[in-house]
Amino acid sequence: MSYSRSQTFSSRRQQNWSRNQNTVAYVSAIKLGPVTHTVLVALMITILGLIYLTQATRATSYDYATQKIDSQIAALNTQKSDLEIENARLTALETVKNSNVASTMTVPVSTNYVQQ
Amino acid sequence: MDLKLQKGSRSTILAAIVLGIMAIFVVRLFYLQIIQHGYYVDMAKNEQVKRLTIPAKRGLIYALDGSGPVPLVMNQTVYTVFADPQTTKDDGKIVDVIQRVAGGNARSDLAGLLAKKDSRYQILATRISRVQADKIKTESLNGVGFQEESVRVYPEGSLAAQTLGFVDFSGTGRYGVESQLNDRLTGVDGLLQSVTDVSDVPLTIGNNNIDKPAINGDNVVLTIDRNVQSHVEQALADGLKRTGATRGSAIVIDPLTGHVMAMANLPTYDPAKFNEVQDAAVFNNGVVSAPYEPGSDVKTLTMATGIDRGVVSANDTYVNTDHIQVDDRIISNATLGQTGTITFQHALNWSLNTGFVTVAELLGDGRSINRSARDIMYDYFYNRFHLGQPTGIEVAGEATGTVISPDQTEGNAVRYSNMSFGQGLDVTMVQVAAAFGSLVNGGNYYKPTVVAGIVDKNGTFAPAPVAAPSNPVSKSTADQLREMTHVARSTFFSNVDKPGYYIGGKTGTSQVSKNGVYSDDETVGTYLGYGGGDVSRYVIMVQVSGDHKALQGARDALPIFTDISNWMLDYLKIQPKG
Repeated sequence: MSYSRSQTFSSRRQQNWSRNQNTVAYVSAIKLGPVTHTVLVALMITILGLIYLTQATRATSYDYATQKIDSQIAALNTQKSDLEIENARLTALETVKNSNVASTMTVPVSTNYVQQ
Repeated sequence: MDLKLQKGSRSTILAAIVLGIMAIFVVRLFYLQIIQHGYYVDMAKNEQVKRLTIPAKRGLIYALDGSGPVPLVMNQTVYTVFADPQTTKDDGKIVDVIQRVAGGNARSDLAGLLAKKDSRYQILATRISRVQADKIKTESLNGVGFQEESVRVYPEGSLAAQTLGFVDFSGTGRYGVESQLNDRLTGVDGLLQSVTDVSDVPLTIGNNNIDKPAINGDNVVLTIDRNVQSHVEQALADGLKRTGATRGSAIVIDPLTGHVMAMANLPTYDPAKFNEVQDAAVFNNGVVSAPYEPGSDVKTLTMATGIDRGVVSANDTYVNTDHIQVDDRIISNATLGQTGTITFQHALNWSLNTGFVTVAELLGDGRSINRSARDIMYDYFYNRFHLGQPTGIEVAGEATGTVISPDQTEGNAVRYSNMSFGQGLDVTMVQVAAAFGSLVNGGNYYKPTVVAGIVDKNGTFAPAPVAAPSNPVSKSTADQLREMTHVARSTFFSNVDKPGYYIGGKTGTSQVSKNGVYSDDETVGTYLGYGGGDVSRYVIMVQVSGDHKALQGARDALPIFTDISNWMLDYLKIQPKG
């Protein structure tokens, strides 16, 4: 008994596809030449570049917004510190001693203590 | 058509030249981009990437107001106004605005400064406030800029100036707490490394950005109570005026914790104007940095040593002849006439030197201040009461003082006889006050401190734990000494104290050694005492002195003590007995 190799070979997988898919391929009638390809690639690169540029610019604009907010925070902190200093000055002992309230205070004639 | 170039034609030559030029370009670009890559990357980085220091805020310093903290030292942002005379346009308007807004902070002759057109930087006003700076900014003056800086401000003025110290123009703490706690107060600067635009605005692009936040300095709360401090300063000023003394110091300590409630020195200064001070001596805190011979205050420590060693008690007696011989020297009492057999309590009341030389002798063989007696005294004075060594208080410039050891040649019997009544040793007021505190609180020595804790990031006061005390003497000894000093004060000065309280103390009048010789016309007056009810709540030590002034403890220092003590009784709301 002898064996001989067949001339055509088709895999089982290929056979399955053949079974489930369209057997007719639609080929576009429009043919793109090398110049069109080059232009399209250039356009894609340009679009990608523009997208990158937009994102980078947006990130930078966020930086400016952040910087602005940081400046506002710093200014408010300075303002808060100034108010704290003013508060400390107004409640300082010298200020209190020289206040109108202090000047009208009197020394008690006698002092009684609560028995604990 | 055949377009092949002919050999040797002009086109061939042109092609060769173009090719050659291209080759040069390629080689040059290879050199620049490959070989010199690192160099140019660094150059670009230097141009684009900025390293900005984020300055740490110096910690604030608080005092106590009763139990809560109040700011004593704060930071304020102020501005220096400068101009570039080459770019200013309306000089007249600039002069008008700066003079009107900056007032006394403006430099004189502003027009002259702006007329220096060869200069690029002229300071027009210094230390103006944020509000003033904002007003000037609204005028949109061309060529005028602002430089921001932080300065220390003192809402309480010169209160506790020598304890605080100040911060010099380089930002370093000098004297006082500012110097001693400089590292804690300074904090650690942060770092911002980033690509920036032309206006130095940091951008998030780039790979090597660093954002390391600054660590601000600690906000330190002092044990100084501003009310006590203020009253002590006032009482001291009044006392100096009354006595004619030119220098005065006082310290108030809580004997139950070692917390210094007030520490005052006169003359003083305004730390906000430290650069205007003529005599740098006023920067020193005399309480911690001026060792002196304490005089009779030390008799309390000698007596405590004797009682603790069991060789003497308040009612034991000795024969007082107003003089006592130690080796080849005769030591006399300052007050004569209390002769005969008297108690050691009597000797303390009258501050008789002979009594305490006798105690020193009793520590030995009872006849002389032998080596054994000297060793015991040194052990108590130096090791237990911590005289002659820094207490570790957090104020810069603390002096060590000197207590001569018996191992040294100078540590002989004569030296120790003098030491028994407070001469022949150099100590600071804080050392004496802390040691005395252990005699009125049951025998616990607390290391004196001015740091009560910190104010954390949330603004909450976090008290520092009180360090464990040592026990230089037994409770029994301390209680006896407390009673003895109470009797000593009551004997002569009971009428000056508020009734119903338990007050005690000891006067001190010490000679001043100048160039190794005791001065004839100058003495230092001190008073060391305590007050409270069943429990002593404060220890006060007062010292007054002046060049060529013979000041006395009882006459000159005691009234200042009394003033402070009576006020403290009210301030601490201590209830009287009876």
